[in-house]
This record gives sequence, C-alpha cells and structure tokens, in this order.
Amino acid sequence: MTPHIARYSTLSIALAMLFTQPTLASPPGQHPPQVPVMHSIEAFREAVRSGGPGKDGIPSIDRPRFQAADQATLSDGDKVIGVYHRGQARVYPQRILVWHEIVNDELGGDALSITYCPLTGTALGFKRGDTEFGVSGKLVNSNLVMYDRATDSEWPQILGVAIDGPLANQGLEEFRVFWTTWGAWKARHPETEVLTEQTGFVRNYRRDPYGSYNPVTGYYAPDSRRLFPVMQRDDRFPPKTVVFGVRGPEGALAITRESLRNEGVIDVVLDERRYTIIHDPGLDTGWAFHNPEAVEIQAAELTFTAAGVTGPGIASLEAVNGFEAMWFAWAAFYPDTYLYEGQEVP
Amino acid sequence: MRPLARIILTMLARPAMALAITGVMVLYTLLYLWLTGDIAGGGAGGWNATFPAWERAFQSRGPFQFEPVGLVSMGALVWTFSPLNTVLAATMGLLVGLNAVAGWWLWRSPRQCGLGGSSTGLLALIPAFLAGGACCAPLILIWLGLPIAGALVGVAPVLVPVAVLLLLLGLWFSLQRLARGEGLT
Repeated sequence: MTPHIARYSTLSIALAMLFTQPTLASPPGQHPPQVPVMHSIEAFREAVRSGGPGKDGIPSIDRPRFQAADQATLSDGDKVIGVYHRGQARVYPQRILVWHEIVNDELGGDALSITYCPLTGTALGFKRGDTEFGVSGKLVNSNLVMYDRATDSEWPQILGVAIDGPLANQGLEEFRVFWTTWGAWKARHPETEVLTEQTGFVRNYRRDPYGSYNPVTGYYAPDSRRLFPVMQRDDRFPPKTVVFGVRGPEGALAITRESLRNEGVIDVVLDERRYTIIHDPGLDTGWAFHNPEAVEIQAAELTFTAAGVTGPGIASLEAVNGFEAMWFAWAAFYPDTYLYEGQEVP
Repeated sequence: MRPLARIILTMLARPAMALAITGVMVLYTLLYLWLTGDIAGGGAGGWNATFPAWERAFQSRGPFQFEPVGLVSMGALVWTFSPLNTVLAATMGLLVGLNAVAGWWLWRSPRQCGLGGSSTGLLALIPAFLAGGACCAPLILIWLGLPIAGALVGVAPVLVPVAVLLLLLGLWFSLQRLARGEGLT
C-alpha cells in the first residue's frame, strides 16, 4: 500500500466515524395506537402553538437523584406524582416537576419517563426505551408537547400519540402514575424514594409560577380561565374542574371526582365494552379496568395495597390506564367523551 | 456622535443626574427581574447564596432568557441569578435612566430655546417597561387573570429588541436636541 493510499484510507475512516451519529432507538410504540385520536393528525398539527420557552427551555431532569421519605421536606397536603413499578415506589413532588415537566428515570430495570403538564393538570408515565423525552416548548390544547431525542417526533402528552415527525400516528406505551398528596402516598408506600431538588438546574422550587395546590389558588382554581386556545370548548364544568379520564379503543370516558368518591365503584358501558372504575379512598384516585365478564365488584369487599386493589372479582379484570385531568383539556382532546356525573343524573 | 457622548458625560458628571440615572437603573433592573421571575417569593428567611451551575451561564431558556447559575435567598425573596439576564436588565435600566433624565432636562429647559416640553424621551419609557414583563407575559397575565396570554406569546421574542431600539431612538432624539441648545442650560 502506497503511503498516500494509507493516508486517504485513514482519513476516510476518521470522517466516517465523525459523521456517524450513534443511533438511538425510538421509544417503544404501538401502531396503530391503543388510545382514541378524535381529531385528525393534521388538525392537531395546525393547533400546535408556542408556549413561550424554546425547545428544552423547560429542561427535563435526566439524572434524577432521590432521598428517603423521612428526609423529604414536604407537607402532607403537597401534591406529588407517585410511581409504583416492579415493587419499587418513587415520588416526584409537583413543585419540582412544575419547573421540569419530564423526568427521564429508570425504575426496576425499565427506562421510564414521568411527565407532568401544569397547564392541563395531567401526570402520565411512558416507557422510553433507549431514548429520552424532552419538552418541545410547544403546546396543543394547553398540553405539553414532548419530543423524543431519537427521532425528534412530537407527542402531545394527553394524546400519547405522535402528531409530527418520523413516528407520526404511532402511540406510546403508558404505565400508571398517581396524582395524589404526599401524606397519602407516604401512608401507602412508607419506603418510597423522593426526588430531590438536586436536579442539575437552579430553580426556585418553593414557588409555583402558576399558583398553588396547597391551598388551591391561581391558575389551578376551578373557575380560573385557561390561557391558550383549545380545539373544542366545552363549558359543562368550570375549566379547571378535575375529572378522572379513561381511554379505550372505542372512545374516552370522563368521571367527575364527586361521583367517583360517592359511588366507590362505577360501571360504564362504552360501545358494548364494559369498564369498571374503582375509587381508592387512600390515594383519592381511580383504578380503571376493562370488565369483559361483567363481574360485579363490591366496594366494601376491596382492599388497597401497595401493589393496587385486591378483592373478589378483581383477578378477572384487565387494568386500563387512567389519570386526572382538567376538564377543559380532556374535552378539547376528546370532544366526544362519555361523561359520567353520577347515578342520579340521567 | 461626539457631542452626544459629551452630553451623556455632562449628565453623569452632575451628582443629582447621576444619582437619578443610577436610581432608575436599579429600580428598573429589579422590576425586570421580578416580572421575568428571576426574583420571586418563596424564601425561608435568612441569607444564603449558592452558585452550583456556572456552566449554564450561556444556556438559553427562551427569547432573551438564560439559565440561572446560582440561587440567592434574601429573607422572603429568592433570586435565581443569571449573569446574562442581569446584564440585559441593567443595560435596559441604564437606557431607561438616561432617557428619563434627558427627557426631564429637555422638559425643564427654557421654552424659547425650542427645547422645552419634549415628551419624546418620556414616551420611549413605555415600551421599556412593557419589555420588562414581555418575556414572561403569560405568567403576568395569569396573575391578572387575563385569557389573552396565548396571543401575546407570539410577540414576546420581539419585545426586548423593539424596546431597546425605541429607547436608543428616544435617547438619540433627546440628546440631539440637548446638543443643539448646549451651553444655554
């Protein structure tokens, strides 16, 4: 080999190494998505708008650090987002997540993203595979639009389906996260780990720029106005009223918190598919199930443990994800939603 | 340009004017940092300062908004300190101060010189104060309970440059008029 050939070969290899980006795997997806998409993808794209900060201007937490429950300086009434995955409990204080919106975490050997949108009051968990999610700085129906760092596809959090980029029309795999209070979570999971303020960023974690949940004030007050336009307006409730939302292949279902608390167990048939929603008095949230065999569940016979709800008939149910959301946002994403307000209302 | 620079030096050489310019600059800087959220409540009392993130000094958060590098607690107040945000606020504060004092000087000048009664400098203050809140307009509108925040987000990126431009124009006009009447005041 002559010297100049050797030189060119070395140069080519060096250039190839320089321009070969490490390929990150896409997040694990569902094609077609298992959740309803009630507007066209094009309509969603047209409804996207800037939320103010730029891409990653609201920085996700990519190296979260945790502390033991007894070291946390939280009040019992403080809102938290809890996760129980493969026998391990972690909790993410709302007053930290309001500044970051996404935590790219690992729990029980799985790569997970815990996401929270303050403007729609929604906390959802997504499996992220070998990539991470970041905050795009865009909003649709006031809801956080995430992007994945492998393909730069854009995913509205509530929708859980990409509306732009190479993965458009693909759904994400969700897992359950809990919107509850520190006191309730600690009672259910005394061994929980708590996200610390050592996020790698400097923020005023004692102050929520939108208002307060303890007590409820500012943007979070039920009657306060939304900030950004929505694709569908529904004034049946004040905009920030919290509903418990469940989605299935045939549609979406919203349940008022009052009816869930009062009735304990709610059965709803959506297009011949039966759902059973069980109120968890400890965490003050719902557990949603598909109930194909129409098993009758009695609230008085149920027990709530760290792993979830147990009791007669529960084993025959299939768990479905559910989450709390501000009514205006739920109705904007799911204009045809079934609304359950209680038995006395026809 | 030299006569204009001389006017500025003259203003700064007079203790009362220099004090007024500095006062306006400090007040504006604090107001800007408050409106954009760098200074806010949430302090636990006492004094404490940590600077753990100097490497983020040039990292952008949004239009004309940079990552804080440190956290300063002062009693009930917390300042998430970003050097670039502070320099930007102080620069705009200095321009507001110069405009205010130049405008006041023109207004106080004898009318027969054709200088008195100018409101050019004072008018330029309006966009400057607007720009202070522009970066976080949605947050301010949340406090006010107004639903038009979404519409304002689109114009937020241009408010700071427009404010700086208007302040520079206002100052230039005021200084020109003062230069024409130099020696008469």
